[in-house]
Amino acid sequence: MSGLALVQVLSSGIAVGCVYGVVALSFVLIYKATGTISFMQGELLMLGAFAVLALHRGADWPLAAAVPGGVAAMVGFGAAVERTVLRRAIGQPHLTALLLTFGLGLMIRGGVATVPAATHSLYRLPFPFAGESWCIGEVVVAAEHVVVIVATAVLALLLTLFFRRTRAGVALRACSENAQVAALMGVSVAGMHTLAWALGAGLAAIAGLLLAPVTFIHPNMGLVALKAFPAAVLGGITSLPGALAGGLFLGVAEALAGLLLPEGVKDVVPYVLLMIALLLFPDGFAAGLRAAGR
Amino acid sequence: MTRVAAGPAAPMLRATLAFAVVASVATWALGVEYALAQAAFVFTYAIAGLGVVLVVGQCGQVSLGQGALLALGAYAETLLALRGMPALLSIPAAVALGAAGGWVASLPARRLGGLYFAMSTLAFALIVEEALVRWESLTHGAAGVAVPPLAFGAVAAHSAFAQAAVGFGALALAGFACRRWVASRLGRAWRAVREDEVAAAASGIDIAAAKCSAFVLGGALSGFAGALHAHWIGYVSPEQFGLMLSFELLMLAFIGGARRLSGALWGALVVVALPQAIAVARDALPGDAGSASGVETLLFGAAIVAVILLRPQGLAR
Repeated sequence: MSGLALVQVLSSGIAVGCVYGVVALSFVLIYKATGTISFMQGELLMLGAFAVLALHRGADWPLAAAVPGGVAAMVGFGAAVERTVLRRAIGQPHLTALLLTFGLGLMIRGGVATVPAATHSLYRLPFPFAGESWCIGEVVVAAEHVVVIVATAVLALLLTLFFRRTRAGVALRACSENAQVAALMGVSVAGMHTLAWALGAGLAAIAGLLLAPVTFIHPNMGLVALKAFPAAVLGGITSLPGALAGGLFLGVAEALAGLLLPEGVKDVVPYVLLMIALLLFPDGFAAGLRAAGR
Repeated sequence: MTRVAAGPAAPMLRATLAFAVVASVATWALGVEYALAQAAFVFTYAIAGLGVVLVVGQCGQVSLGQGALLALGAYAETLLALRGMPALLSIPAAVALGAAGGWVASLPARRLGGLYFAMSTLAFALIVEEALVRWESLTHGAAGVAVPPLAFGAVAAHSAFAQAAVGFGALALAGFACRRWVASRLGRAWRAVREDEVAAAASGIDIAAAKCSAFVLGGALSGFAGALHAHWIGYVSPEQFGLMLSFELLMLAFIGGARRLSGALWGALVVVALPQAIAVARDALPGDAGSASGVETLLFGAAIVAVILLRPQGLAR
């Protein structure tokens, strides 16, 4: 097996891992800020991709306007769902929120599936770089993969700036650390919950756009979010950079497994890794590495 | 501590009476044969529901893998019955496999709390589902396997009446076992873990062992339910036992009231009746038939959301 092929497999693994990572990021963000286990991130991802598609195809917006428009719509959607429905699950046991988000996810998936145009064909977003490949030295990589990786890096930078430099970002972090103390410091905890869901939905929509060049847009594309749970747990469940790293790790591990192991093993690699990691490093990889370094 | 399932007989009597009323209305509306077949499903769902009640309601852990444990029981029973093993041997084997599955699923997270249990059981369920699809020489993959009727020696449970009778007997057995467990030292340990892990540990309860036993016994009940369910539907395939079934079972326990054993029966009644009610409601709605499955998913999700928003503590209270 040549080194060049390996680079191509790795680049596709990293690109898919970026999608896992961004979905895991949205899950961890919501879990940390509101304590809610969201089982609807996959559906939000799918809805985001369809929102952009509807703006582009249905309303004839140019892609450059449809992408921010769709993401903004999903941010609004996340905030609205938090205000109307999810707010009531706060303080209830894990199971309540889990079932509630699963039910909402079913509603979203069913709602999209009732639109005849959504189910009758597979769609791609006509990004200008779709289908091209770029040569870097002797290595040929698909343009989609490079764009996905670069976009994820930019997103991570923007999120870092948001959480470190802006008032809302610091307030959100404070709220995740200790909601009571944050409330005493004048942070509106309820407002932060809304913000967390708005950001979570927006991030899921962005993940959908990152996934769209790699696969088609269809009502079941949200299944990819199942891989985000192992990514979030591998990253230590409460760490945002950890979630992104966990997603990248899983994407690469999956790509390598697809190359080296028999057919079908690839799909269960994230879950097997999750079980092993829970057995060996119960506090996540980061804590495991710290313990090994001591 | 709050009073739990193994209470006095009066509520049980009331529940039995109410159930008899529901059963007779169903028989009158649907015909005897159909109502009995549905009753057989209600009983097996209720057995699986008892498993969820032990894990979720008594021990306070979240399991997303109950569907896969049913799959283990169903496939074990199917494959052994096809090879001519008598039911009195194959059903205990299915129960044992379910219990073993529950043990494996809980193993990675037994020292950790709720969310990790949810994740490790989810991972276990997805691995089992993929294995059932890929291990074609044994399971026939995604195409599935036809299941022979349940047979004890020369007597086969062909008719709906026989299936409902076997199901009722199995549920009575499972319910009796659960009442004993819940009233025992083990049940008290589960409830202590549910209320406060630190306090339970300080009282000398081995938390990991308590959680593990809940998953093993819950898995055994799931294996039992899966074995019978396979005979009732007459055909097993991996997709029947996916994530959707796990969530249906969680919903079952939630609706019936996860803390009471009788909740399993009420929840089972709702979960079996709901898809049929949804099919009726969908036919009443205007619109084209092409999007029928989407509407059903939408209505099912809406039913879950409505129940949780209206009765966050479950329907039974």
